[in-house]
Order: sequence, then C-alpha cells, then structure tokens
Amino acid sequence: LIEVAMSKRRPINKILVANRGEIAVRVIRTAKEMGVRTVAVYSEADRGSLHVRLAQEAVCVGPPPSRESYLLGEKILEAAKLTKVDAIHPGYGFLSEKADFNRACQAAGIIFIGPPPESQDAMGVKTNARKRMNAAGVPVVPGSEGPISDEKEAHAYADEIGYPVMLKAAAGGGGKGMKKCERTEDFSSLWQTAKRESLSAFGDDRVYIEKFLEKPRHVEIQVFADHDGNTIYLGERECSVQRRHQKIVEESPSCILDEKMRRAMGEVAVKAAKAVGYVGAGTVEFLVDAHRKFYFLEMNTRLQVEHPVTEMLTGLDLVRMQIDVAQGMPILKQEEMVRRGHAIEARVYAEDPAKNFMPSPGRISYLRVPGGPGIRDDSGVYTGWVVPQFYDPMISKLLAWAPTREQAIGKLIWALGDYHVHGIATNISYLRAVLRHQAFVSGEYDTGFCGKYQKELLEQPDAQYEQVALVAAAVAAYRRDHDEAEAFAARAGMAQATRSNWLRIGRARSLRGAVR
Amino acid sequence: MSTYVALLDGGKREQSIGVKQLGPGVYEVKIGEETHRVDAFRHDYGTVSLIVDTQSYSVQLDQRESGVRVHIRDSIFPLEILDEKRLRMRRAAGKFTVEGRQTMTAPMPGKVVKILAKVGDEVREGQGIVVIEAMKMENEMKSPKDGKVVEIHVQEGQAVEGNAKLAAVE
Repeated sequence: LIEVAMSKRRPINKILVANRGEIAVRVIRTAKEMGVRTVAVYSEADRGSLHVRLAQEAVCVGPPPSRESYLLGEKILEAAKLTKVDAIHPGYGFLSEKADFNRACQAAGIIFIGPPPESQDAMGVKTNARKRMNAAGVPVVPGSEGPISDEKEAHAYADEIGYPVMLKAAAGGGGKGMKKCERTEDFSSLWQTAKRESLSAFGDDRVYIEKFLEKPRHVEIQVFADHDGNTIYLGERECSVQRRHQKIVEESPSCILDEKMRRAMGEVAVKAAKAVGYVGAGTVEFLVDAHRKFYFLEMNTRLQVEHPVTEMLTGLDLVRMQIDVAQGMPILKQEEMVRRGHAIEARVYAEDPAKNFMPSPGRISYLRVPGGPGIRDDSGVYTGWVVPQFYDPMISKLLAWAPTREQAIGKLIWALGDYHVHGIATNISYLRAVLRHQAFVSGEYDTGFCGKYQKELLEQPDAQYEQVALVAAAVAAYRRDHDEAEAFAARAGMAQATRSNWLRIGRARSLRGAVR
Repeated sequence: MSTYVALLDGGKREQSIGVKQLGPGVYEVKIGEETHRVDAFRHDYGTVSLIVDTQSYSVQLDQRESGVRVHIRDSIFPLEILDEKRLRMRRAAGKFTVEGRQTMTAPMPGKVVKILAKVGDEVREGQGIVVIEAMKMENEMKSPKDGKVVEIHVQEGQAVEGNAKLAAVE
C-alpha cells in the first residue's frame, strides 16, 4: 500500500511562478518555507518588482502588456524549460484558468499546480459550467443558455427576461467584462463595453446574459481535492462588498449563514467539484438572494485572491496544500478542519474612489504598513516602486483576525489607519468608511452596498483637524526653507575654503617647481 | 516670524499662518487669533509626530506636484502652502476659470480605446469624449463644460502618457 502511495508521488523541488505582484510574492514565500526553489517571470515593466527580487531565479518574458508577456503560455514554458523546473504555479488571473496552457505543461512533463485541464474546460467557459451544473442538480442563476453573438438578439433577450440584467464575459472572472444593465436604453453601449473589456482581458469577446437577483449576496465556498478522490470544503467567504463588480472587502463567517446552510452549500460545492473531477484548490461561487436561496454562479479553478481569509480562519496554508496535492499527497479530512473566530480582508487599490475609482498608477514615494497580532499584509510593493499602468491596480491585501466579528472590524479599521501610501491615490479611507458603515456593521448588506451608499462612503475630512493640518504643513514648510538656507550657507562656506586651499597648494607647487 | 498662506478647497479659501522657532524642534505657531506651542519630531521621510499644546498627532505629509496632502487621524487635507513671495507670483499669474477654451488631458498613462465625439460636435458638461483604458479598466474622460469640440489630439488605439492632450472644448 505504501509503495502504491509512493509511486504516485512526484517530488517538486523547483517551481516557476507564472504571475506577478502580491500573489507571486505570496507563493514564493511558502515555497521558501518548504525548501522549494523558485523562478520568477517578469515583463519589462516589472524588472524592479518585488517578486523578481525574492525568487532565486528570474526570466524576462516580454514587453509590458500582459498579452505580450504574462499571457504568453509559450514564453512561460520556454522559461520553465530553461530553468528546469518541476512545476508551474499560475497564481490567479493570467494563465491560471487556461486549459490549453495546462495541457501544454502536461505535454512538456511539467506539473501544473491546479486542477486537470478537463475540469478547467468544464468550468472555464461560464456558459458550459452553467449547463454542467444544471445537469448535476446544482441550482443556477436564470439566464441565457449560452453566449449570444448578435447584439439585437441579446438586446431582445434582455428585454424579454426583464431588467436589471447582468452582461458577463463567457471566459470571464474578476469583474472584467461584466456590466449591470438597468434599462433597455443603456443596453447597446454596455454591451459594446463588456465585449471590448472581455476581449482585452481574456482574448475572447463572447458575452452572455443573466437575470439580476433581488438583493443578491455573493457567498463562495472554498473547496480542496486530492488525487485520491477526497474532496472537502473549508467554509465560506462573504464577498458582497464590490465596486465595479470587483470584491474589495471579504469576510468569514458570512452573517447570513448558519451551520445548516453552511453545510448545505458546502456539500453542493463538493458535488460541483466532484462533477468535474476537480483536484487542488477551487472556489465555488454562489449568489444568495433575499430569501436565503442560493444559486451556483461559477467555479474558479484556481487559488482565489481572498484565500487568506480562509487561511486565517482555519490556520491552514492553502499554497502549501496546493503544492502537497500536486506532489500526490493526501489532504486533511473534512472533520479535521477547524474554523475559529472571524477574519476580514480589505483590498488596497491604487485608485481614486472620488473619481469613480479611476486607477492611479505612479511612484510610491513612501510606504508604511501596520503589523501586530492578528494583522496580515499580503503586499507586492515597496517604497520607490512605480505601480505600472499595465496591470490590475491592487497593491496589497490587508487582513485582520479576531475572536469575534466586532473585534475583527475594529482591528482592521485601526490597521487601515496605520497604512500609509504616498505619491499615488489609494482607496484606504474608502475601505475604512465601508467597515464603519452601519449597514456593514449590522451585517445587512448585499452586492448593491457600494452603489447604494456611494456618497456616504466618500469620507469628508473631519473639520476639527484642519487647524492641525495647517500647523503641520506650515512647520514643515518653515523647516524646509530653514534647512535650504542652512545648507546653502554651509555649501557656500565650504566652497570658499576649498577653493582657497587648492589655490594655495597649487601656487606653492608652481613656485617650487617639480619637487620629487 | 515667517508667514505662510495655506490655500484650501482648491484655492477657494485662504488661511495665513505665522511660524517662529523657539528652540530645536519647538515652534510658536499663530493661526488667526490662536497661538499654539508646537513640538515637531520628524520620524522619517513622510511621518511627523506633532504635539500641539498637549495633543499628540501622527501626521503624514504626502508631497505632490499640486501641493501637499496632510493625513491626520482619519482625515486627509489636500492643501497648498505658499510663502508671501510665492503667493504674490501666483496672484500675478491670474485666476483659474472654465471660460473659453478648455483642454482635456489624460489623468494617467494608458491607451485610447474609443473616441466618442468628433471636432465640431456640440457637447454638454459631463458628456464622455474619449475613453481611456488603464490597468484593465475603461475610464470615460468627460467634457468640463457645455460647448463645442474644437480639437481632438488622439486616435483610437493610441498609447498616451499622463497629462497628454486629448481634446479641447470651447
């Protein structure tokens, strides 16, 4: 029996991380802990990126646009062969859900740290996934059978099922190419935008339509499976705080789940994973409506951005588990999984909430981050780093863990207050306003939260501190002027002294002639 | 005593502040009728510990091209601080207005994905003129005023730097 188990094992001693930013840093750190060597890949815009510095080897894979670098499977595989790695960790986004890349890895004899390509085929195109899940008896959100190619036909379908509707990229994820359409008048322009964004993000412009549910909450279940057929769920994450259809605050446990519903959703998620022969870390996303009915939304066949929420709650390292499973090792049993306390994640973005969350690339002139018990900062940046314009503007994920939800909220609020990023705009004060908002505190919120409270969430500065701000700025200006004047005087004095000394020596020498 | 003028709310409000040094790191600061004893200890590039009378504050000064953003507790105050000479120069340079021709510039580097108006079009304030993609998100650049598009400087598909001219509305 032991021999059989051993023969399935394929040791991983070296990993190429096919990603950038905080997730590449995150994967490299766990690999180091495990004594696994790492290779970073980077675009020309990322030469100075943190993941390049932390990995033991690094290979440049092309120019800045991701379509010419991080999305080029061939280039990544070339780098993997060059550096002779055992496995590739795709992170999230980029190639993480591309079944073709997964197959190319297999063909090259390199382990793809993720599910088999067949599971990705089944879940990757969202419309196929919906069909599969329907067949497996998993409830799905009502909507179009498949992607609709003709705009007129799509428009007619939307009119028929009634507004609001969601336009979604068939190849999508991460809010790219996703638009909520409220009225028939807006359909055409939103349809075009969804198609364009989808093409640019996934190289695929197919879009389908879903009915928009009443007060929907986004609740997802983390699942994990090994090669021996064990599939478990690691509880839920509530991700209803979203702007531009991208999650910005995630927490666990969810306020609307009780033990019974958690088990029911967990079991459905396991069923969904098993239906596609899933292996490794995956996330089954659900929408929960106002009546606490849940519907399958999609399955993300990769590690999720917000996976640290589950890690803080369970004490597990999901990246380590991914690598273990990829080496053929078994996972823990469902009953061995323990969940404790409450964890919340806030995503720090280089963007300006006051300007409709416009991205704000640029140089970080100063960075100071919080720490302490129960605080975790998964960051990919440093002081002096120029946040490039080419990629997602997320710069870090800040998490707090505490025994209760109330304490976790309090902890994350002060931690965000101690998070200082200068030189670029960030959403930090917006995140703090979210955590303080009565609707969030009460737990009574849905995916409409950011839209509904848009005005309240843009905090105005507290007038009582204005005088202090003026004092600070004036003292700083005084010191700068004073330092400048002093430095100028010092330099002027030194120059004079220097000049006269050199002159004196020079003259003395010329008078004496060439003295040996 | 040195006198500074702070411009608040994008220049709509002014406040003059007098600063006198009493000793190393200790200042007397006069704002309006109030005088405070201020002890300023600079921790590092961006952080100053300020004790104003007895209140203790951790203050972050984020220096930008357009001025300074002062972070205190949970508030951010964008302001500009000028000495008297700079203020006089500023006054001589004239005031900001939306009258006449307004040039729209790219707020960040990115790619032009769509142009929504052409030269000669009548546009309303807030109407989208150019769509720029940066960091995988599309952003509509809107007209600052009612008027007519008189210049378009970019083409669809073109990469633009931050502050690049996009269009002009008159």
